[in-house]
Amino acid sequence: MTPIELTRSPIVKAALRARWPQFVIRVIALAGFVFAILSGFIGTPVGNHNFSIVFVWIVWWALLMLIVVPFLGRGWCAVCPIPLPGEWLQNGALLKPRGKGFGLNRKWPRRFRNIWLQNIAFTLLALFSAVVLTQPGVTGLVLLLFLIVALATSLIFERRAFCRYLCPVGGFIGLYSQVAPVEVRVKDPAVCAVHTEKSCYTGSKDGYGCPWLIYPGTLTRNINCGLCLECLRTCTQDNVAFNLRSFGADLKQPGGRRLDEAFKAFIMLGAALIYSAVMLGPWGALKSAAYSIGTPQWLVYALSLLGLIYIVLPGTFLIAVAVGRTLTKSKETLKKSFSAFAYALVPLGLMAWIAFSLSFVFASLSYLWPALSDPLGAGWNLFGTAHVAWQPYLMSIVPFLQAGVLIGGLWWACMTARRIAAEQQTGRAITLQALPVMGFCFITTTGLLGLLIG
Amino acid sequence: MKAERIALLLVIVLVMGVPLAAVLARSNSDTIEIHAQMADNGGWTPSDLKAQVGQPLHLRLTSDDVMHGFAVGQSDAPALDVLPGQWTTTTLLFDQPGKYTFYCTRWCGPSHWRMRGTIEVTGAATGATTETITTTAPLYVTLNLDLDAPHPSDVVPNEKPSAARGVSLGVILDRIAAPDRTQTSGAQVWHQLRSSSITQHLSDEQVWDLVALTWRSNTTPERLAEGQQLYAQNCAACHGETGKGDGVIAPSLKKTPMPGMTMTGHETVAPIDFTDAKNMLGASDAILEGKIIRGGMGTGMPYWGPIFTAEQIQALVDYVWTFQFER
Amino acid sequence: MMRRIRLSPRWILIGLLALVIVVVPSPIALAARAARAERHFRIEASSFQYTPEALQVNPGDHVTIDLVSTDVVHGLYIDGYDLNVTADPGQTATLSFVADQSGAFRFRCSVTCGALHPFMIGKLDVGSNDLLWRAIGLSALALVAGVWVVRR
Repeated sequence: MTPIELTRSPIVKAALRARWPQFVIRVIALAGFVFAILSGFIGTPVGNHNFSIVFVWIVWWALLMLIVVPFLGRGWCAVCPIPLPGEWLQNGALLKPRGKGFGLNRKWPRRFRNIWLQNIAFTLLALFSAVVLTQPGVTGLVLLLFLIVALATSLIFERRAFCRYLCPVGGFIGLYSQVAPVEVRVKDPAVCAVHTEKSCYTGSKDGYGCPWLIYPGTLTRNINCGLCLECLRTCTQDNVAFNLRSFGADLKQPGGRRLDEAFKAFIMLGAALIYSAVMLGPWGALKSAAYSIGTPQWLVYALSLLGLIYIVLPGTFLIAVAVGRTLTKSKETLKKSFSAFAYALVPLGLMAWIAFSLSFVFASLSYLWPALSDPLGAGWNLFGTAHVAWQPYLMSIVPFLQAGVLIGGLWWACMTARRIAAEQQTGRAITLQALPVMGFCFITTTGLLGLLIG
Repeated sequence: MKAERIALLLVIVLVMGVPLAAVLARSNSDTIEIHAQMADNGGWTPSDLKAQVGQPLHLRLTSDDVMHGFAVGQSDAPALDVLPGQWTTTTLLFDQPGKYTFYCTRWCGPSHWRMRGTIEVTGAATGATTETITTTAPLYVTLNLDLDAPHPSDVVPNEKPSAARGVSLGVILDRIAAPDRTQTSGAQVWHQLRSSSITQHLSDEQVWDLVALTWRSNTTPERLAEGQQLYAQNCAACHGETGKGDGVIAPSLKKTPMPGMTMTGHETVAPIDFTDAKNMLGASDAILEGKIIRGGMGTGMPYWGPIFTAEQIQALVDYVWTFQFER
Repeated sequence: MMRRIRLSPRWILIGLLALVIVVVPSPIALAARAARAERHFRIEASSFQYTPEALQVNPGDHVTIDLVSTDVVHGLYIDGYDLNVTADPGQTATLSFVADQSGAFRFRCSVTCGALHPFMIGKLDVGSNDLLWRAIGLSALALVAGVWVVRR
């Protein structure tokens, strides 16, 4: 399907270019974020009655994983409050460019221009997730740390270096944004080729150069584009478009596949498997082990998590890729094939996370009502819903949704694997090369089915 | 630029205003806020309150971890649930000075019974009558009973005695010198009944049925029902729903006393088995009442003196005998 | 995405197999219809574990669950059946119902009992977990379709 340019409609173009709607949403998000930190520190220690736990790990997470990421890719990044204080200081302005701001504006170190730091940050969060997700004080601390690190990064380095190279959330939203049906792309690369100012990257009086350190002229994948829409505002040639496109379009792009992104796919898939077993399984010993940080049991849990994510999954996948290469006498290097085929795990991982999230979100969503009326657990009743009792929603249909999502993800992964194989092979060799990878996807899908609906 | 100013205002109002409003809204009124946590994590905070006779004491209670409950000892006000993350309000009014004990009423771990606090009420007593309240010392004090001495019974029945069977024997108990059950043990009652001429035709087992009958005659179904509820809520967790000392909390209490073991008084032991006839039938109501009031005995048994009224303890004692006797 | 799929015989076959996997009555369910038993379970609840953590009954069984809390107040809520019971330590609570819905149902704690309360989960299997088997069947079918049916 050829992308449909939504900005062809003057209303859409004006709405996306307007700064105020995005600004207002950003400020509300920042207020919510700061309030969540406060709530974590001074609110009730009971997680399911504290704004920070309920609105971050249930409401925000549900919106993110079930709606925003699949349909809007990095849409959250467009309104995320974390980089804002730093960005405002960097720019010396809240809205349009005004002149100089604060900050050393250093270039991000070359050797960290990848997502390995984001991979590590996410892994660290995963190791402590049982405590982070359930203790308001710890959530508050983590959110505050995000804010401080983002601010510090903004004062030292240029633009949104934090978002691009450090943010653990951005790591996986970026990877999965390849699946989303929206994109920002230039309309005609030839126009960019003769445009010397490159205001999309250097900025103009109407907007900033891409905060994500991307040159929009050659942007072909969503992974690093935060949908902030600055380029839409600064391009003096009106050559930037916001498009509607088919799902998974970026996965069809050959080339440009990287090992750090491949490992992100394994981290997410492994985390989905582990969380499905530990958090949603019936085995209390696993939960206690995940929670009791510092004990030998936790160490076993941590090592198992690290082992699965960094050794077992990639190792098995490597074998699958190697077998496929051998069967077809592929001319591609093993490393390139490995990185390439790992992108088949992008739809698989996204569906796995959606399936996982469906279960705990609908079981816990009713906590939203008391948390809304009494966010600090202080006895308020702002909207009259403070005493709404806990009630799981839709639990009889959730298993069917999970099954559908996982089977769909498997099909999608198989098709992606075939497409990747077709970049190197023709005819029967496509199937042969993709077959072991498809088998890997089938086994992980069965594992997730067993854990989530078994 | 005007737009920038408005934008900045928006940021300040929302980002700083909302948290500020939240902090200010947590006002300090004259209501005392009490946080409940499992006893090992702090129990009640604060745990020592002060009040005046005739002045309402406003309290707001919340739990910071699990389900708790709140009640004031020896009061007929119903217990309140103290829910995690939510608040319960109550107002207490005292018309007598003294030291009151408040306590947790929903089991919250092995140290649940230690979750207590005090309310020191000062001022002159109010009330329509001018009679002074006198507290009577419990029986074990007036009788100078040694609660810690072992009390094995010299006789035990072969099966559980039944008051209903005792009724069918047709013996009129009033003809026998009525044993004062509060001060005599089940075994002593049996001996007294056994040695009476009216029971000569009965077997030993049948005399036990008469012992059961004397127990039942000295209580009422209402007292037994109350005792059952008190036992379920307060005792069953350690002593077991079947009275065998195998309650769910029992495993976290430590050892059973071995013969010859010296108890220092600081360790805890397994709760007593109320179905053990040899042990139970050698104890009088006064002994049981004393143990409930005073607790201790080097076993970790809570002291219920400040919590239960004399009537409640009597109901409990009556109920405990259901582990030895059928109704 | 799938523009090139023609309605070839292979696709019709896959479609039919998918239909079969979805609608075929479970053989186990058919066989077990006769057995309607009285099942009695004693579940101990502690933070944050049910013991036993999984129960297996047949469809139509009359199930009685005694919930025994061993440390703090816990609850037990069964998804799908929408049944709930709460137990204080020392007071066993009983839940009684007929297992008229087949499948796998999670049960979860319904009284906040500590930090990991939302993850205190157990499982009730009534009959065979048809959804799981059908889902695995469809997954295998997806794999087969991916291998044999899609032409490039």
